[in-house]
Amino acid sequence: MHKYRTAIFVAGALVVAMALDWALPVLVTDGSVRQLVMLAACNVVVALSLNVINGMAGQFSIGHAGFVSLGAYTSAVLSGNMHKWLGGGDATLARSFIVVPACLLASAAVAALFGFIVGLPSLRLKGDYLAIVTLGFAEIVRLVIGTAQVGSGGETIGQAMSSGGALHALSVAVSKLGGQNGYMGPDGQGLPLYAGPFWVLSVTTLACVAAWRLKFSGWGRALRALREDEIAAAAVGVDPTRYKVTSFVIAAIGGGVAGGLIAQMRDGSYLVNPETFNFQASFDAITMVIIGGSGSVSGAIIGGIFVTVTVKAIEQLQNTSVAQLIRGPHMLGTFELTVDLNALRMIIYSVVLIALMIRRPEGMLGERELGQKRPGPRPKSEPAVT
Amino acid sequence: MRVDHPTRGKLELPAGQPLLEVKSLQVSYGGIRALKGVDLHVMPGEVVAMIGSNGAGKTTTLKSIARLLPIGAGEITFAGKRINDTATADLVAAGISLVPEGRAIFPNLTVRENLEVGAYLHRDRKAMRETLEDVVALFPRLGERMTQEGGTLSGGEQQMLAIGRAMMARPALLLLDEPSLGIAPKLVMQIFESIKKIANAGVTILVVEQNTRIALASSQRAYVLKTGEIAMEGPSAELAQNEEIRAAYLGG
Ligand SMILES: Nc1ncnc2c1ncn2[C@@H]1O[C@H](COP(=O)(O)OP(=O)(O)OP(=O)(O)O)[C@@H](O)[C@H]1O
Ligand SMILES: [Mg+2]
Repeated sequence: MHKYRTAIFVAGALVVAMALDWALPVLVTDGSVRQLVMLAACNVVVALSLNVINGMAGQFSIGHAGFVSLGAYTSAVLSGNMHKWLGGGDATLARSFIVVPACLLASAAVAALFGFIVGLPSLRLKGDYLAIVTLGFAEIVRLVIGTAQVGSGGETIGQAMSSGGALHALSVAVSKLGGQNGYMGPDGQGLPLYAGPFWVLSVTTLACVAAWRLKFSGWGRALRALREDEIAAAAVGVDPTRYKVTSFVIAAIGGGVAGGLIAQMRDGSYLVNPETFNFQASFDAITMVIIGGSGSVSGAIIGGIFVTVTVKAIEQLQNTSVAQLIRGPHMLGTFELTVDLNALRMIIYSVVLIALMIRRPEGMLGERELGQKRPGPRPKSEPAVT
Repeated sequence: MRVDHPTRGKLELPAGQPLLEVKSLQVSYGGIRALKGVDLHVMPGEVVAMIGSNGAGKTTTLKSIARLLPIGAGEITFAGKRINDTATADLVAAGISLVPEGRAIFPNLTVRENLEVGAYLHRDRKAMRETLEDVVALFPRLGERMTQEGGTLSGGEQQMLAIGRAMMARPALLLLDEPSLGIAPKLVMQIFESIKKIANAGVTILVVEQNTRIALASSQRAYVLKTGEIAMEGPSAELAQNEEIRAAYLGG
């Protein structure tokens, strides 16, 4: 029984996810609430993957949004084109079984490739340098997609290839991603949203199981050992560079898959925009990991949900009453006070983080998991001999 | 304690061949030469000590043997094979384990996890369980604290954990870097008792120490390292009687 526990859990989760694919729109009639649920699930994947590098490996990446962005764009381009080949129409559940796996695999592959390229040189460096490189990477991704424009714009990728070679073709391809306006599929009609609750919830479940197994496998143990003492870990045969690069690639893959889901999430947006994956997004991902507790899988899940909900709640608030309440006639004439409630979010995070630093410097759970006991103090029976 | 390596089998060496041999080893940090041509050897089954004062190059020697430092010049052979260019991981698999200086355990991993990481290269679960039993038999204190985090152990217990972790790889050659560092005298005795047990089980040992008295008392041969060079060598019992050493390292 124990042996099959994970398999039974995963099978059960798949059944529930399938049921929800049908039931969620019935149970939750408000589209924005459905979107919140789905986005929270995607962000759990973001947090779980960043937790591998920032929590378990003890490195510090502040550019995770770059990988999410690459995953999102890969998935958007592929799903848009596949949808076109399939003849357009509705994004049905049956078709999603072709489109979603293909897109997520592609997102994972692209993110993995970039994770390797970024990770290999930078992980030989010490922590701060890695942070700077990851930040630079995410910014490059955002700016290149946001600003790429080539010549007349009418050129197809095939033409570009024959006239200007591979590099030119690549820039033409990037310039077709819509820049600041966002990418809306090959015909600009909006992206097909194939990933319903079934896909989002089952991929999230699989990510949770994978993260859990990773942490407690020999591999995860070696990775955590490496974080604590590099020389000692090397002395027992753990190859530091190989482990760091592998963990970085795994984190990138998770980020890419999360992005791939976000790009075609049902009830989500019909476009992907480079600004969705800006520094703020990377920072949100770090907050998710830190609030829950670096290194804790359940902590990353809690953090992912918490941050998504706060972000959304404040967005809602921004759009509705409060901004209007402050607007109005005044003795000194009419004025309009527009408050950027994003600042409020920063205040909430700051308060939560400061409270955590005081009460629990290691995050809500530290490195532990939900239900795991805090390791007790040393038994008092013997005096500590040092 | 069982020491035969499940994947390596018994090491078969021609009679008279050292298990470890270091020839004119030179190592520099940047421009500073820390080792200026060190020669030493360890025969199978021997316990060899290396003594010397602060900064003599003892840690540097052990780290070079464990291939954790780039070698400037010279040659290191283990069981007849040149290991200058072997990766540390392969050395651990081949049978060399280092217990680094200063109780380098993994503080946030439990005692059990610390030990399990030591068996990192062994995929065989049954062998790992057996080795774990052996290590716990060697250090019963660790057995009582399996779920405690490594960092909450006392200094002496941490040193036991570091040695136990190295033993989890079932080494043929154990390199120990100052096992007595910062530990109460009573525990130092206990730790050297355990080292003796490990040696009796057939593990070859090269131990670096500043505690000259105990190092010479628990080894068969010893080297004296002075500013990157071997200043003296010989049977430990003889060195313990040597006037120069008594004056310089044994306090008269
Ligand atoms: N990473 C390093 N960079 C530069 N110099 C170093 C480094 N590590 C050691 N050294 C120098 O190399 C020399 C030998 O150091 P080593 O650590 O091998 O000495 P040791 O005999 O182990 O001393 P101790 O008994 O204090 O541990 C010293 O002069 C030391 O300052
Ligand atoms: Mg030293």
